[in-house]
Amino acid sequence: MNEQQSSPVHARGSPRGWLTSTLVGFCLVSAVLTVVAGIVQVSFGTYSMTLAQAWNTVFDPAVLFNLDVWNAFLLDGELPEMSTRRTVVWNLRVPRVVVGIIAGATLAISGAIFQAVTRNELASPFVLGVSSGAGFAVLATLVVFSGFAPFLPLIAAMGGTLAFLLVYFIAWKGGTSPVRLVLAGVIVNMVFQSLQQGLFFFAEDLGVVQTAIAWTTGSLTGTGWSEVRIAILPAIVAIVFALAGARQLNVLLLGEQTARSLGMRVERVRFLLSAVAILAASAAISVAGIVGFFGLVVPHIVRNIVGSDYRQLMLGCLFAGPALMVTADVGARLALGGAQMPVGVVTGLLGGPYFLYLMRKQQSMGEL
Amino acid sequence: MARQGLDPDVERSTELAGTDRVAIDSALVAEGLALSYPTSDEAVVDCSRLDIPEGAVTALVGPNGSGKSTLLKALSNHIAPDDGTVYLHGESIQSMDQKALARELGHLSQENDSLGSITVEDLAYHGRYPHRGFFDSVTEADREAVERALDLAGVDHLRDAELGQLSGGQKQLAWIAMVLAQDTDVLLLDEPTTFLDLYHQLRVLETIRQLNEEKDVTVAVVLHDISQAARFADYLIALDDGELYDWGPPENVVTEELLADVFDVEAEVRHDPDVRIQPKAALSDESE
Repeated sequence: MNEQQSSPVHARGSPRGWLTSTLVGFCLVSAVLTVVAGIVQVSFGTYSMTLAQAWNTVFDPAVLFNLDVWNAFLLDGELPEMSTRRTVVWNLRVPRVVVGIIAGATLAISGAIFQAVTRNELASPFVLGVSSGAGFAVLATLVVFSGFAPFLPLIAAMGGTLAFLLVYFIAWKGGTSPVRLVLAGVIVNMVFQSLQQGLFFFAEDLGVVQTAIAWTTGSLTGTGWSEVRIAILPAIVAIVFALAGARQLNVLLLGEQTARSLGMRVERVRFLLSAVAILAASAAISVAGIVGFFGLVVPHIVRNIVGSDYRQLMLGCLFAGPALMVTADVGARLALGGAQMPVGVVTGLLGGPYFLYLMRKQQSMGEL
Repeated sequence: MARQGLDPDVERSTELAGTDRVAIDSALVAEGLALSYPTSDEAVVDCSRLDIPEGAVTALVGPNGSGKSTLLKALSNHIAPDDGTVYLHGESIQSMDQKALARELGHLSQENDSLGSITVEDLAYHGRYPHRGFFDSVTEADREAVERALDLAGVDHLRDAELGQLSGGQKQLAWIAMVLAQDTDVLLLDEPTTFLDLYHQLRVLETIRQLNEEKDVTVAVVLHDISQAARFADYLIALDDGELYDWGPPENVVTEELLADVFDVEAEVRHDPDVRIQPKAALSDESE
């Protein structure tokens, strides 16, 4: 906000100076935070090592520039022999950080898109039912149709789309309002959560139920390269489209009338951008479960710091999402010593109060 | 350039305009227009023919609820008419590609959402939307158009100010800079001066006039104040309860009869030579 003003005034008539020093600084800090949290995550655990050792193993050129290793990680090829420490770091702990990065970035971007498309500050994949719909689809796949596991993001996207359309259908009354969208979201969420819980009774053994419960709260526990392989492509596609669509989102924020006057086919653009947001959320949900509050809160944090221009906001979310997700996961994994918590518990515990603070500070929040 | 594509019916506009005038080229023609809101079946606007003359400033006047804004929305393809067609330079706007339409016709609505943190310059750049493809970056032409628009609207010095910090009048000028950056041949403005102080009212009107004179832009503007409209516009279109009451140059349209019939106001109209309106009393609401 004010930071934007104090940024160096760009030359008269120069192309838009949206890459402000605030934004660059914000992204740098986020990136550093991601790396630090990632190193902490890698070094501690049952097989402990010093931070320096962790750093050296993670940034080990023998691994980083070894195509065979990456072939194994990303394309499920044969993994070459590695030392114990390398195996622990690269096979167990690094992929968890990578999944955290993917989930953090996609959830943040998804929330940011939904907030612009619905012009509602309270919108997020969770509020609009996308999370619970996608969650139900994923859970059904895991519990009942386990053969479809490689297509999890697609299945999640279908569930999310169905729920989103339901929410819109319920909220529609010659247009929607923030309040009606939120209420319709509550209804659809309730239905899908009941369905999720109903599924537990079809689970064969208790292990599956426990995984499922951890998963419905959002958890990165036990995620490996196979999860990275599942989520990375849809995540990249969604991120590319989200960044490219930033200008469209800015025009949408001018209001429906103005966007139309400027020649935008508003309904179509809204629909396509919603699809991008659903895909992004689904990529995260299919590997990390339903991480509460994340998609709602992160765009607000970024907006408060870098401003509400979506070109800035998207980039900010792309960096802040991973930083916050990886940091929260460090807390989830290491805070209680032995036992691991689902990361969704941490984000919920931190995100709730932060959102409350925002609500108190901003009188017009969500225009409710 | 678009004149050769004109509707052959153009001659008919002389009938409405009066017998002593030559035929006028029209930028926008609406034929057999019937408009209603989605919530009601009753027609809000019903007029058989309406012309917005090319290269002139036309003001739409009428009391509240006479359908001025609704008409303007139909002329800019914001609402689909129940019946009838709107032609822009002879081409039906309903069948035009939306971006192509936005390159030729700009529309500024009456209520613009309050945007806090966007800068005036950024807003003006959004006016270039119809000229840019999905992946296009800012071109030299975009830059020039924005500079011209900021200059013409007189908000050059405010380019880095955020909209939330501006007064109502400055905000309106910023929005006008946006539609000017759109660089269209035809501009429709819905009550651009309402709620502004006198200074900014005049600034807005002067900007419109300048745009019309220097760039030959066709302007249709809804104005609340009929005496302002009479002084400012080349043509007036008076609407009464969704129907075209009269149209033509202000000195022909603005009469004591019009003020009584359309505005329910008893007034004295003088020509010296500008039209001057001296309102006297509100007429009692008789049953029609």
